[in-house]
Amino acid sequence: MPIRHDRKVSILDVMGPVMVGPSSSHTAGTARLGRVAREILDEDPLEVHFHLHPPLAATYRGHGSDFALVGGAIGLNVDDPRIPEAIRIAEQMGVKIEFAEEDLGEVHPNTVRVEIRGPNREAEIVGSSIGGGVIEVFKINGFQTRFKGDSPTLLLFYRDRPRMIAEVTGIIGDEVINIASLYCSRKQRGKDAFMQIDVDSPISAAALARIRAMADVAEARYLDRIP
Amino acid sequence: MIESFQHLEELARDRDLADVFLEMDEQEHAVPADMIVEALRKRRAVMRDCVERGKNGGESMGKLVGHEARLLNEAFRSGRTFLDPLTVKAELYALSVMGENARMGVIVAAPTAGAGGIVPGMLLALEEERNIDPERTVRALVVAGGIGSIIALSANISGAAGGCQNEVGVASSMGAAGVAYMMGGTTHQSIHAAAIALKNTLGLVCDPVGGLVEVPCVKRNALFAVHGLTAAQLALAGVDSVIPMDEIVEAMVRIGRSLPRGLRETAEGGLATTETGTAIALRLKEEANRRRAERAAERERAAQERKTGTT
Repeated sequence: MPIRHDRKVSILDVMGPVMVGPSSSHTAGTARLGRVAREILDEDPLEVHFHLHPPLAATYRGHGSDFALVGGAIGLNVDDPRIPEAIRIAEQMGVKIEFAEEDLGEVHPNTVRVEIRGPNREAEIVGSSIGGGVIEVFKINGFQTRFKGDSPTLLLFYRDRPRMIAEVTGIIGDEVINIASLYCSRKQRGKDAFMQIDVDSPISAAALARIRAMADVAEARYLDRIP
Repeated sequence: MIESFQHLEELARDRDLADVFLEMDEQEHAVPADMIVEALRKRRAVMRDCVERGKNGGESMGKLVGHEARLLNEAFRSGRTFLDPLTVKAELYALSVMGENARMGVIVAAPTAGAGGIVPGMLLALEEERNIDPERTVRALVVAGGIGSIIALSANISGAAGGCQNEVGVASSMGAAGVAYMMGGTTHQSIHAAAIALKNTLGLVCDPVGGLVEVPCVKRNALFAVHGLTAAQLALAGVDSVIPMDEIVEAMVRIGRSLPRGLRETAEGGLATTETGTAIALRLKEEANRRRAERAAERERAAQERKTGTT
């Protein structure tokens, strides 16, 4: 039986993206993975470490994945003609960049773990570039999830307790925003927990403020669609 | 949601295939049809620009390719080509896009960058040679994209996941459906054009020399643009694929999984490990190491200068 993906790829995903060459999985997808890390960090990075799964480590240089990962991590879009210059631009910005090989287990060949640190925060993602510029991030700050960056998303870090999901989805529901998918995971019962809510339309600043003010919410990060 | 090609054929039997795909995407992704068409109009323009820039050739990042488009263009302009103009243009435009891609130029991944020459090669050549309204080309891009989106329900479209069949094979399949549509073919004919093209790429390995999207990718795009045209021609003449498209996609996924890792974009097998391929890879590695050493030396020098400057 063929595997069925949980979300259908759109026509514009297939017939695109418009991007800087030479490889959609090694250049566009990796740039988007770098960009996800940058958007979760939500500030200009000081230091970025890229841990490449062996097959990616074997091919990344020839495909310009190094430029692309760094380009994404400093906030460039996949069609930005400055991507070939990204490493030089990052150096000028004073960003420390490091590449290393790491076996990330039974994962897609083009998988990378990104550790990113800014003046105030740090973040970590593990994600794959699965072809055509499409990405799947399956770990954010140590929490299991499924993030594709194809819709606006709320990432919530909180202390595990009853009613948490009801309260958050209640606030989103008050705005008549449809939830496309929701993933939850926690490190330990009653301790650090994580929720990812993908929505069909943007969440307002007022609703975000209400969510941030909720008891036991450590951090709420709102991400737009990753271009 | 359209679950399969069989479902698509039932749904779109007597309808315009592009309309069906636009409705499908609007339902699935809440993107209005006119926005999809507008985005694809822009992407057609990017493809067109890319072809114009790429025709003149130029050195690639890895310096292994870059002059194919210029050479074919010169031969064509001076009347030294022997194939019909449609075929030559399909080859030329595919080479042009791939040359730009290998120079880190801006291209449209269709469905991937490494196979990005095939769909524009086929569709833009046909548009020019048969005086087809560019708006119809835009709608053919909808059809090609729609076909790809159904394939992507079962397959991870990348050479790393399943070999080159997942890239040039799928591109050729999408393009064949687009060409059949542009030529006034039925939904049945578009699906069979896609099936015939894809069927003939099964087992195709992804073996880039030195890990670059240059050899054999650039020329493979030109050849598979023509391959797709041939598939569309057969389907339009009434030739059906005996194996249905859904089963071909399933076979593609199975074959892709059973390909050894070395034949899936790792540059550890196939053409990449021929005598010439190995020699090129070694040379590229040495050059990269030298450049890295130079960059490190330069950083060191700059740091020293800053130090002496402050004291």
